[in-house]
Amino acid sequence: MADSTKLKSDALLELMKQHLTTDAGKQITKKIGLVYQINIAPKKIGFDEVTYVVDLKKGEVTKGSYEGGKPDATFSFKDDDFIKIATGKMNPQLAFMRGAMKVKGSLSAAQKFTPDIFPKPSKM
Amino acid sequence: MAMRELVTGGAACAVPGSSSSSNPLGALANAIIGSSSKTQERLQEIPTSASAPSDSRFYPDTNDHLTALPGSEFGNSLLQPHAQGSEFLSGFRSANQSGFADAWDEIQHQNQIPPHFDQFHGPGPAALPQPTLDGPPQRVLSSFLHSFVGSSHGGIPFRPTSLPLLGLSEGDKQCIRDRSSIMARHFFADKSEDFINAQVNALLSSLEIDSDARVKGPLPGRSQELEDYWNESQGMVRPGAPAVDGWITEYSQHRAAHGDPDAWAHSFEQQHGANGWASEFEKERSQLASIDQMRGVNIPNFEAMEQTRMLAQTLAQNNDPKFQNSKFLQFVSKMSRGELIIDDNQVKPAASGDWAAEYQQQYTGAPTWADEFAHNQLSRGPEQWVNEFSTEREQHGSVDDQWVNEFSKLHVDDWAEEFGQQVGENSADNWANAYDEFMNEQLAAKQRSDASRGVYVFSDMNPYVGHPNPLKEGQELFRKGLLSEAVLALEAEVLKNPENAEGWRLLGIAHAENDDDQQAIAAMMRAQEADPANLEVLLSLGVSHTNELEQAAALKYLYGWLRNHPKYGTLATPELSESLYYADVSRLFIEASQMFPEDADVHIVLGVLYNLSREYDKAIESFQTALKLRPHDYSLWNKLGATKANSVQSADAILAYQQALDLKPNYVRAWANMGISYANQGMYEESIRYYVRALAMNPKADNAWQYLRISLSSASRKDMLEACDSRNLDVLQKEFPL
Repeated sequence: MADSTKLKSDALLELMKQHLTTDAGKQITKKIGLVYQINIAPKKIGFDEVTYVVDLKKGEVTKGSYEGGKPDATFSFKDDDFIKIATGKMNPQLAFMRGAMKVKGSLSAAQKFTPDIFPKPSKM
Repeated sequence: MAMRELVTGGAACAVPGSSSSSNPLGALANAIIGSSSKTQERLQEIPTSASAPSDSRFYPDTNDHLTALPGSEFGNSLLQPHAQGSEFLSGFRSANQSGFADAWDEIQHQNQIPPHFDQFHGPGPAALPQPTLDGPPQRVLSSFLHSFVGSSHGGIPFRPTSLPLLGLSEGDKQCIRDRSSIMARHFFADKSEDFINAQVNALLSSLEIDSDARVKGPLPGRSQELEDYWNESQGMVRPGAPAVDGWITEYSQHRAAHGDPDAWAHSFEQQHGANGWASEFEKERSQLASIDQMRGVNIPNFEAMEQTRMLAQTLAQNNDPKFQNSKFLQFVSKMSRGELIIDDNQVKPAASGDWAAEYQQQYTGAPTWADEFAHNQLSRGPEQWVNEFSTEREQHGSVDDQWVNEFSKLHVDDWAEEFGQQVGENSADNWANAYDEFMNEQLAAKQRSDASRGVYVFSDMNPYVGHPNPLKEGQELFRKGLLSEAVLALEAEVLKNPENAEGWRLLGIAHAENDDDQQAIAAMMRAQEADPANLEVLLSLGVSHTNELEQAAALKYLYGWLRNHPKYGTLATPELSESLYYADVSRLFIEASQMFPEDADVHIVLGVLYNLSREYDKAIESFQTALKLRPHDYSLWNKLGATKANSVQSADAILAYQQALDLKPNYVRAWANMGISYANQGMYEESIRYYVRALAMNPKADNAWQYLRISLSSASRKDMLEACDSRNLDVLQKEFPL
């Protein structure tokens, strides 16, 4: 990791990736069964976005756009806002209304995108 | 108008500071109370009052104020309440039996015309007479309390009056007693204690309230009226109204804890001396000044004008001569030029020229309807207004004349009234709610941005302020594991000695152990300012930034640790500090750990660094090495646990946390981490118990509240969400014992 402008979301999505391999993670995959694409921008939505796919059909997190067709829903966030949503600091509905989260795709799929699918980082 | 309507005029009634348009009582109280907060500005305007004492600036001498204002000889005569004065008063009362009631009704009906406004804003004679004291009990109580508040303007001794039976409950009495004594201290801050007591006793004896009786327990039916005054008076003293909430809440918690506000007031005075109140307020005010700047209090005022100007332009483009001459257009253009202002739902001509100044001066107080109006205008956009008008026009079809006629028939005041009513009926509540939400958000955002900017947020009402040796006390409390208490004591220390690096450092540690990294970072940054080379501070900053996933900052401080270390400083190369790369820093630390393999510290820093790069296996190895050298370091056990948890070995993590908690039972962070590890394993019910335990020790641990909420949802315990949202720990602890 030679680059110091890494996103906070990288750490969280890495944790998510590991988490999906655990029993609790497999439960989530079973429960949701959808594919989400997440675009994360360091400062402003739409600029310098990093794309992740959280595949809750297969139980994987991969970097880059989804290649298996169309994701069920695509989200765009700023780095900080994604962390806030995933850790329960910000309500996804509120984030959406405030424009902190942009959604494309199926609304019912988007509504299953809640903080409880993400593992929580522990603190030293 | 029925009393109930007055006080329940809008949901916003209960919210201090947000005097919604639908809350006439709030408007009145604002008008009455607000003017006293403005006296200072007025004094500056009035040349004769240059001798006003500067030590009572916030509570300016109201007598000066009176003599300086025209017509105040009237007020002066009221200052001698004996013989002549009371004669005058009774004469006044009989002559003007319902004067006050009329004025009151007028303000209710919101079609008040300018002269009446002056009655309420200046301490003119009309605001002072005793009200009529007949009518239904609520009405009597209402006007009676008005006169009490009114008496604060002139500093006139309040006269006990015999009142008809009011049928007040014990709770009402308790509430009136408590609040009137505190409010009186606000009003009469420049008067002696005896005077205040006399005022309050006069009020209480009139209401047949025993001034010594104490009723324990919650207050069932509070007098809503006094409640509102109370809220208004709280809102009045602090411009950033919602910011006030925290203080009020804190205060009422404090009050609940002691059950006796008078005792509190006394102890406060003992602590802070005679001028305590005033100075405390000034301090608060200066703190809040920055909030004001943030909120841009003035901006909405000008924006309101700007909006109207746009509306006026749009309307002026209509070529219909009748419309051009219509009173409505004139009204709008007057408003846009600032010749008319909308003030608490009333349209008033503005003094030409210094409209802006006056407007600002009047509204440096609590946020007003006008502010609110402007905010909402912004969100609605001016076009919508215009659209509404054009829709109406379309409905009238070709009969344009009719429309214009209709408008010209309307008196300007009527229009305002109608508008006010419409607003009141349809959406005032929504507006007020949305506005409150907005303000709360703003406040939260400010606190967040403060914290993320590294500005330390002090607790309100710190009992350790004034303690002879708060640092020692803080260290003692910290050693006992009473983290939240230690935080307060240490805050008192750094308030006393802002350059005390050790005070800030321990405060930072206490916050980190209390699971609040934002505050920990803020405190540690102050510690670092005071002592830039302190290794413990640098390491703590590195850890906290790692927790907050702020890699660049974490790397900076961890490198700083190496550079300032007496043994390893030589390894650091100057060119590196310019652009830090993780690989370089970790290489240096590996080198360092080989130099002195028996130094636990370097292994700890290395472990943190591996956490940054998410090389968890190496991190675990480093921490385990350090633990061999330092097996009783509870924070090290927690670091090991957190690292294991983050590399999805939650079950092992719990074992490590247990070690930490055996060494330090009140380690809030470890309790919260336990909860996280259970939640990440899908054991939500267990996680809830640990979160609740952590929160019982530190109710300010916001992260734990958020995680608790998620676990409650996941465990299908939505029935407890309300207790979580209202932060009701009693209920939660009962439901989820550990």
